[in-house]
Amino acid sequence: MSQAGYMNNYLLRSSGVLLFLTLWETAPRLAWLDPYFVPPLSVVVAEIGLLLGTGDLPIHLLVSSWRGVTGLFLALLIALPLGVILGRWLTGLADALDPLLRVLSQVNPFALLPLFLLFFGIGETAKVAVVTWVTLWPILFYTITATRTVDPLQIKSAAALGVTRSQMLCKVILPAAVPTIFIGIRIGASLTFFILIAAEMLGAGSGLGWLVHNSAMNYLIPRIYAGATFIILLGFLLNRFLLYLEKSLFAWQEYPASWTTAGEIRPYVWRPGKGAAIAGAATLSVILILGACEVRKLNQEAMAGAGGSSGHAKHFGTPVESGSGGF
Amino acid sequence: MGKNTVRKAGVILLFLALWELAPLIGLVDPVFIPRFSGVVQTILELYKTGEFVQHTRISLLRAFTGLATAVVIGLPLGLLLGGWFPRIRQATEPLMELFAVANPVILAHIIIFFLGIGESAKTFIIAWLCVWPIIFSTITGIRTADESLLKAARSLGLGRWQLFRLVVLPSAAPSLFTGLRLAAGYAFIMLIAAEMMGAGSGLGWFVLQSQENYHVLRLFAGATVITFLAVLTDVSIKLLQNRFAFWNGGPAENVLEQGRWMA
Amino acid sequence: MARDADVPQQIQTDAKIVVKGITSVFHLKKTRTTPAGEFIALNDINLEVRKGEFLVLVGPSGCGKSTLLDILAGLAHPTSGGVYIDGKKVTGPALDRGIVLQGYALFPWRTVRQNVEFGLEIKKVPKQERAAISDNFIHLVGLDGFADRFPHELSGGMKQRVAIARALAYDPEVLLMDEPFAAVDAQTRESLQDELLRIWEATGKTILFVTHSIEEAVFLGDRVAVLTPNPGTLREIVKIDLPRPRHNSDTRSSAEFGWIRRKIWELLQNAPSDARPHPNAVPVADAISPTAAL
Repeated sequence: MSQAGYMNNYLLRSSGVLLFLTLWETAPRLAWLDPYFVPPLSVVVAEIGLLLGTGDLPIHLLVSSWRGVTGLFLALLIALPLGVILGRWLTGLADALDPLLRVLSQVNPFALLPLFLLFFGIGETAKVAVVTWVTLWPILFYTITATRTVDPLQIKSAAALGVTRSQMLCKVILPAAVPTIFIGIRIGASLTFFILIAAEMLGAGSGLGWLVHNSAMNYLIPRIYAGATFIILLGFLLNRFLLYLEKSLFAWQEYPASWTTAGEIRPYVWRPGKGAAIAGAATLSVILILGACEVRKLNQEAMAGAGGSSGHAKHFGTPVESGSGGF
Repeated sequence: MGKNTVRKAGVILLFLALWELAPLIGLVDPVFIPRFSGVVQTILELYKTGEFVQHTRISLLRAFTGLATAVVIGLPLGLLLGGWFPRIRQATEPLMELFAVANPVILAHIIIFFLGIGESAKTFIIAWLCVWPIIFSTITGIRTADESLLKAARSLGLGRWQLFRLVVLPSAAPSLFTGLRLAAGYAFIMLIAAEMMGAGSGLGWFVLQSQENYHVLRLFAGATVITFLAVLTDVSIKLLQNRFAFWNGGPAENVLEQGRWMA
Repeated sequence: MARDADVPQQIQTDAKIVVKGITSVFHLKKTRTTPAGEFIALNDINLEVRKGEFLVLVGPSGCGKSTLLDILAGLAHPTSGGVYIDGKKVTGPALDRGIVLQGYALFPWRTVRQNVEFGLEIKKVPKQERAAISDNFIHLVGLDGFADRFPHELSGGMKQRVAIARALAYDPEVLLMDEPFAAVDAQTRESLQDELLRIWEATGKTILFVTHSIEEAVFLGDRVAVLTPNPGTLREIVKIDLPRPRHNSDTRSSAEFGWIRRKIWELLQNAPSDARPHPNAVPVADAISPTAAL
């Protein structure tokens, strides 16, 4: 495609978004829409800037990220080994378990949330548990499929060299399965983001979802829009980033496992090296460590604010004090 | 095949037996995880009093209205964008991608400015979540129709409408069904969320009420019925798919893999 | 039929490879269209291959030639009989045999160099040495400059060269090739055959090559073992007296070449009438892969 064609295509593709943003700005200004209920784009952007400036948005972002990343890690910890075992060694068991796993994966996360709130109180555990539950299934299913469908020819040619079991796992099965597993992780991450924001609206005192919920309770309309826009943008970027990572990490694939309709023009593909891996690991650790501190601080504040009597602390398997009389 | 089915059923029975026995022998606290038989009994009692029938009917109606709205909007839109207006599709695709990412739970706070807290807001947010997989899978289905198949059909002198009805639609059908299945799943997820956020009836409201009153048996009863309904819906659509679009799993599965509607 | 316990662990022989009384029977499960039963893939095969010889197994699909190769590779076990390399019984896969398969079977996440080095990694050869060896073999198969490419960036013929380099790199004495050129186009195929002969002459490996193409068999082999299906039986071993080197010459168009090709063709045609493949047998045999359990 020529340079001009490339530009034209780019313009065409952005035209829809640009038109929408223009409408968002002009419609309230021209009073086609009530500017009280629909603040113009510029007002919302200014509000986002304000929230970023006061540090509200970064803190809630950190808290939400911590919850998401923790849940995701827990899900990986459970689903990856289980998936490899079921996909590679206990295939008969995997077949027998399939319907049960499908039914369990259909358990509604929102129906589960009250259950977890009951088990764990409204501390962090309930939210992290819901996130883990939701993320677990795509990762597990994709890991089973991935390890099960490794090209038998590749296995055969490695087996002909007399490789040991662990060599077969590390040098053939896992590298072959990783792209498909990554799709599971990407879907899991998307689900995490979706469920987490919702969970934070139903039972939390912090996080991005709570920020929007709280604004709505207080009729801070520009703040609702600011929070919502920020969350949508974040979700969009997260999704795009993971897709991009997938393409660049697994560029060796003959048929990339996911080829979205959006990817008509294949851009230059960056291949992540050691530096990128270190940066990624560092970001995750920062989220985990700083997030944990922040979450702890916020929960302590919330507890102090509530007088500590309403049982908002974490409970592992012990009944919530104020509720035990109800049974 | 028969042996396999028996084994699969056996695993499910084993799970239910475990659910029954674990609280009984004190493996888990029966206050938090009641026995399966207790849950079944509660479901039956609630059924007898008519309470459950009422909530289930309301919930199903809401889910169905939302899903139907999504199909009525998404299917024609997907067909038009995928088949006839490629330039409009290109122009709107990034915007749709953004919209698909927009979490309806958050949108709910904005929607109620326009629609109030009533049924239409619930229908809207359910439909909002369901419409994107339908649109995207329809577009994918239409666009991935085999070129050589189309050529062969055109060479037979098929008209536009015939081409669409006899070639394009059947080859897009597997993808359409996959989108529908995804959407039905989302309808249930969103339904419960919507009923928890602001409703006075429905299974989601029932479950939340039970939690707030620490009524664990009713909570489990509600969650079990919701799961049962979701599985039932999924299985029925899968059966429909096997009946009407049995010939291909191909590109349709990619839609499942995309998962980009939600981020 | 000899029981497995009667098969000696070691035999006295000068031959590189000895195939002794190999019989392989598959038990077929009952399916919707076929009853349960037995399928004899190989029936009492006896064969000797000299050191440095190029032996070709030729036969139609379903004659068990790939099964025989799998047994030689140690990937499948015969129902009875044994395979000996340097007089020692084969009990499983090992690095004394290299294998090249029809579908390339390259690891797509590894570059050409990393693919070639795979066996060396298994052998725990130090990194420095690995690089020198892989350079050498990448050069041998004519892929200089492609060492850091990924398989998806190569043509089918190039991929097969990588597969050959990978099988040679850890220096096995025997090279087992299962229809390696079946997936490439006709022209590439001929040039790969030329290339293979050149590599064989340069390395002096013992090669056992499976194909269903009579021309390929005649062009490559010192001897051609003709197998007929149902049950897989070794019909005859034909000695190919065409002069070497055969690559870069007019071997393929010589009268002698045509004469031998015709002879093998007749051998395959005139299989005993009761040995005609059963209508169900061919697809069934194709469907069974002894490595499926791996």
